[in-house]
Amino acid sequence: MATSRKVTLLSSDGESFEVEQSVAVESITIKDSIEEGSAGNPIPVPKVNSKILAKVIEYCKKHVESAKAEDRVDDEDLVAWDADFVKVDQATLFDLIRAANFLNIKSLLDLTCQTVADMIKGKTPEEKRKTFTIRNDFTPEEEEEVRRENQWAFE
Amino acid sequence: MEPDFVPTTSFVDFPEDVQLCILSFLTPPEIANFSCTSKRFVALCRSDAKLWHALCDRRWGSKTQIRKWGDGKICYRLLYKTLSEWESLIGFWRRSGQRSTSAAAAASAAPPPPPLVVFDWGPSFVAGSRVSPSQDGTYGVVKSPFLWMSLSPGGEPVNFVDPDGKGGEFGANYSVDSIGKTDLIPVDVNFMGCTHLVVEENMGLGGNSHRNGFRRSSSSANLCSDEEEASGGENGTFGSLPDRYMSEMYQHFANRTSPGGSSASRRQKKREKERQGKRRWEPEHFVKIVDCSPTPSRPLQGLWKGIGDCTKLEFYLVTYDEIGGIACRRVGEPADRFSGCAPVFWTSKATFIEPPFSQEEMIMYDSRMLLHPIDEENSMFGELPMENEPVTRILYINSSYDLLIPDLAGTTATDRRNEGRIWQYRDGTFGFGFLRDNFIIDLKHIAPNGCLLH
Repeated sequence: MATSRKVTLLSSDGESFEVEQSVAVESITIKDSIEEGSAGNPIPVPKVNSKILAKVIEYCKKHVESAKAEDRVDDEDLVAWDADFVKVDQATLFDLIRAANFLNIKSLLDLTCQTVADMIKGKTPEEKRKTFTIRNDFTPEEEEEVRRENQWAFE
Repeated sequence: MEPDFVPTTSFVDFPEDVQLCILSFLTPPEIANFSCTSKRFVALCRSDAKLWHALCDRRWGSKTQIRKWGDGKICYRLLYKTLSEWESLIGFWRRSGQRSTSAAAAASAAPPPPPLVVFDWGPSFVAGSRVSPSQDGTYGVVKSPFLWMSLSPGGEPVNFVDPDGKGGEFGANYSVDSIGKTDLIPVDVNFMGCTHLVVEENMGLGGNSHRNGFRRSSSSANLCSDEEEASGGENGTFGSLPDRYMSEMYQHFANRTSPGGSSASRRQKKREKERQGKRRWEPEHFVKIVDCSPTPSRPLQGLWKGIGDCTKLEFYLVTYDEIGGIACRRVGEPADRFSGCAPVFWTSKATFIEPPFSQEEMIMYDSRMLLHPIDEENSMFGELPMENEPVTRILYINSSYDLLIPDLAGTTATDRRNEGRIWQYRDGTFGFGFLRDNFIIDLKHIAPNGCLLH
């Protein structure tokens, strides 16, 4: 049966992870390469190191299991689990975003992006620059002008 | 243990579509704030096709097809603004107010349209449908679309009524161009607050212009709707008065000395009168039905359907008041105490009786007969169910506003003031009945799981 097949994923730093195929294909990228037959075994996952890959696999496993359970009550538990899952340092969070984007796992991408969006809320521009290391290339006058223009543009 | 250091990737290093994904979770004011951080983000945050599309998609992408609105040419910032307003339409509304007493209404022998209306998302529009009980003796419900609200590529509302409901489901073939070839009537939809809606025929386009298709031009100064009152609604605050007022003003000043005025103004007046008389559709007012569904603290609240005394399917609305009472009315009946319209049932204290129930109560319940649909095909005559549905809780109710003696109210089960009962079932639905007869009327959710059709 296809669902009990296992595949091996190889992280960028050379570590192997054996997972069920049903979990691996949460990633559209992996799913496509399996279907095209172009994936070797093990499937190399460049750009994603073992620490992040382990977390991604943990996420996919949990979501595949929840989908199998028919009880909708698990939805709340899953939301709570997701909230805990993203309680990581910013570097890990950003790495998860890149991994989710590269591996094309929409739900993980949405979850992590929402987390970053929540970090953006409620901060002044200066605080945002600090948190996200954005270089300020405005002169004070330019910045004031942008602020004023935005007021009507985004009312 | 790695020391804490500056992250190797930063927000600016993300690919643009990831940045947009993140920004799509923010509200416009938050985005305005964010765009002040650096020049590259100003450009990104102002990009309509990218950012505003992402915002629309995030909020409504699962409910409607963002790229189809306005023939796919609309400015997404405008779309965001409009959909934020129109979102409050979604749900159930009921018609309110008296029909106008114009000659047209009196002359038409058609029955008034059903009082219950539901608004849904379409692929590139919002559709309003009348909801009426199906007449086939089942719990089925009929949904007839009659109002279609969409946007032109320029972002202006394009609203139509299909008076006879012949259109059936509003399909993708309804577009601005096809309007001229059908019997659709242009209307204005005006919001008064979030819970009151007025839908009126748009006479300003000219009663006959629908045959020539749309004459909307981008210069909105010429485009005014012929409304009775300046409602200042969302639909076109174009900054000039309706044509009718302007021409009347001119006529007033122009004709000060000559009573009849010139022949030209007489002709114009006549045309105005004709246009007024050619109103093909009466204005309708709607009030939003908030609280359409039960909640854990208000388990009987919401819109229900049930087979009543006359074995016809009817719609009921159960509302809770601020002091813990409940009232149930048929949808469409006026709610105020002085209307002369009694509620179907009511109680001033919505406290349930929990099991175990007294012998008396059980006998009273078991001996009753459920009013159920007369289903011709699977006739249940002679095969009545042995037992009624198991009851989880009981509530005492009344059916009239007769004077209550305060001390007697809510004392014992045999208190004759409590003329009836509600029996709540395991699945959350309930039945009600009165001591004066032997029936149970079961009420079911009108839209279980959000899906209207049974």
